[in-house]
Formats: sequence, structure tokens, C-alpha cells
Amino acid sequence: MRGPLKLEVWKMGFVNYLEALKLQEKLVSDRKLCRIPDTLLSLQHPPTYTLGKRRTDHNLLIPESELKNIGAELHYTQRGGDITFHGPHQAILYPIISLREMGLGARNYVEKLESTMIELSSLYGVKACAGKKCETGVWVGERKIGAIGVRISSGITSHGLAFNIDPELEYFKHIVPCGITDKEVTSLRRETSTALPSEEVIQEQLISCFARLFGYNTVVQKENPSILSDHEEIA
Amino acid sequence: MLWATRAASYLRISVVHRGFSTVLKDLKYADSHEWVKVNGTAATIGITDHAQDHLGDVVYVELPEVGASVKQGDSFGAVESVKATSDVNSPVSGKVVEVNEELSNSPALVNSSPYKDGWIIKVEMNDSGELKNLMDSEEYSKFCEEEDSKH
Repeated sequence: MRGPLKLEVWKMGFVNYLEALKLQEKLVSDRKLCRIPDTLLSLQHPPTYTLGKRRTDHNLLIPESELKNIGAELHYTQRGGDITFHGPHQAILYPIISLREMGLGARNYVEKLESTMIELSSLYGVKACAGKKCETGVWVGERKIGAIGVRISSGITSHGLAFNIDPELEYFKHIVPCGITDKEVTSLRRETSTALPSEEVIQEQLISCFARLFGYNTVVQKENPSILSDHEEIA
Repeated sequence: MLWATRAASYLRISVVHRGFSTVLKDLKYADSHEWVKVNGTAATIGITDHAQDHLGDVVYVELPEVGASVKQGDSFGAVESVKATSDVNSPVSGKVVEVNEELSNSPALVNSSPYKDGWIIKVEMNDSGELKNLMDSEEYSKFCEEEDSKH
């Protein structure tokens, strides 16, 4: 029915939001033309607030001019979802994959992203679950541990998920996270009594959960992944 | 069942027995799951029942401006559901003459009535010959079955 599925993983470390966005646009275009296989970016961002296509900036609770003072950037994007925060110690996955080749619709794709974070949480004894209707994301009780915001263009995905390992939760106080009032944001550090290994290990586990849930039987790591593609030259 | 099928034929609705989504007989379909209803050079466009089912509850529809040009296979707008924005592509080329403003207040019409009240744009086509690039209802039904069997 389906041939062997290959996933190429780019472990990118710390990446500025706009640069990651530009890279994703290039990769989506390459994936559409079948120049590259399904690709997964694994990274973290410096403090950044982002908005989705609906531009719900009423959920930013401090003036934009204040953001510089707290060391954060703001970006408007084409992804689904409301306002969110990305920062150090939050594991981010941006899958650039062909949903059409997999025969997956948006709903199933997002459910699998939720499952990825739920599975990772369970490795640390944390019982997380998917959000109820209209509350896409991953929750531990009434507290949100993982967020999702995705864009699908000609069947190719970009943006993805953000899982809170141990980010500075104070930053979330300046927004109504995901437009949902009265619900807290939490992290793996807060929810588990298990000692946490290094973040590289946790990010590696997140990648494994993703690869297993999506049925990839070949996972390769890209040598020297960088913001510049192989075709670009440094002027 | 026979009565239902006869009634369905009379109403020109094709009910797919094995699949779970409705496919209408007299529409044309793109492989990105949009439908087009053609009347002379006037085209009405929306997304199919299969598409809305796979998207989940639509909470937002991004519409183009009236007067905008659309090209077969290119994106003209987007829908948002379950924190995912999905591009909607035009099955035909031409000029947008009307958009469904109702969707700004009631985006869920795309889910509840994908072929009727959930229509998205109306286009004045500039090349009817393009229609041959699209699928008819039978081809589209088969296409959906094949896609769904992939996982």
C-alpha cells in the first residue's frame, strides 16, 4: 500500500524566528517539487511572541513597544491558532511533510502532533491529554503543556508544535495564551517528579515519538543543517 | 434502499455507498478537494464534503477580494480548523465576482453545507477548456477512496 517512509531530521539548536520561517518557506517549496523528503526541524527560539492568520493581537496584554524591554520579538504568521510564546527550554518541531502522500487530513495530522507530545509526557510519568473541542493542544488537567499551530499549503505542512520542557513561564503572563482565558500554562519540569535529563535527550525523545507515530521507518539526520540551503552561497 | 437510490438519481445526487462523504454528480472536482459548479462561464467554488470532514470544525475563512484574479491550481484563500490553516485552491482561472460574506460570521457553514450554503467564491471563467483537467464525480470518489486507504 505505502512504500518505505523516510524522514530527514535537522537538529538546529537555537534559531531566530524569522530565519526559521524563511527556511521553512524554502523547504515547503522544495518538498512540493519533491526535491527533498519529509523533513523535520528540531530547534528552540529566543523569546518570541507569534500570532496566527487571524491576527488576534488583542490577546497581547502589553504594548508592542514594551516587548523590547523584556527581550522579546513579535511576529505575524500564516499559521493557524492564536497568540503564543516561544522561548529557551521549549522544544519545537516544525515538520515539513506531505500530508497528501500520507493520505492525512488536517484533523488527523494535528491529532498525531498532540499524540507526539502526550507520548513524550508519559515517558516522565506525566498524564497529558488532547484538548477538548476548540482547545487544540496538550493539557495536564487544566494546564497547557504543549501548543500547536500549523500551516498547510498544497498539502505540505509548516510550523508545528511547541512543548514546554522548562521555559520561563513568566513570559506567558503577557498574553492570553492561545486565546484561552482562565487556564494556566505549565511545563514538564513542573509536572514531573522524575529528574530530567539534558534537553538534547528530551528533544531526541520527542523526535522519536514523532517518527514512530507517523510511521517513518527510515530516520536520517542531516549533516550540518544550516539556515542557508545547499544551493545558496555566502556572498 | 432502492427508493432512496431512485430519489437520489432524480435529485442528481450520487450517494457513495462504501465511502463516508457525499459527492455530487453534476460538479467537477480538483485533486486538492475543491468542487466547481459551472453555468456557462459562471463558476461557483467550494470545498468538498471529504475536505470538510478531514479538516475538522472550520473557525475562520480567509476570502479573496472581489475583482481578484484566480488561476487553476493556485491558492485564493484559506480555512482554519484545529489550529491549522489550509490553503484553498481554485479549480478554474478567471476573476472573482462574488465571495460568500456569510462565512465571515458563520464559517461552520463550510462543514454543515459544503456544497450549498458553504460555497466560498464565484468566478467568471476565462478558459472553459480548463475544465477537462478536473475530475467528474466518479473519478473523484475513487480518488478519495485511494487517498483514504493510504493510512
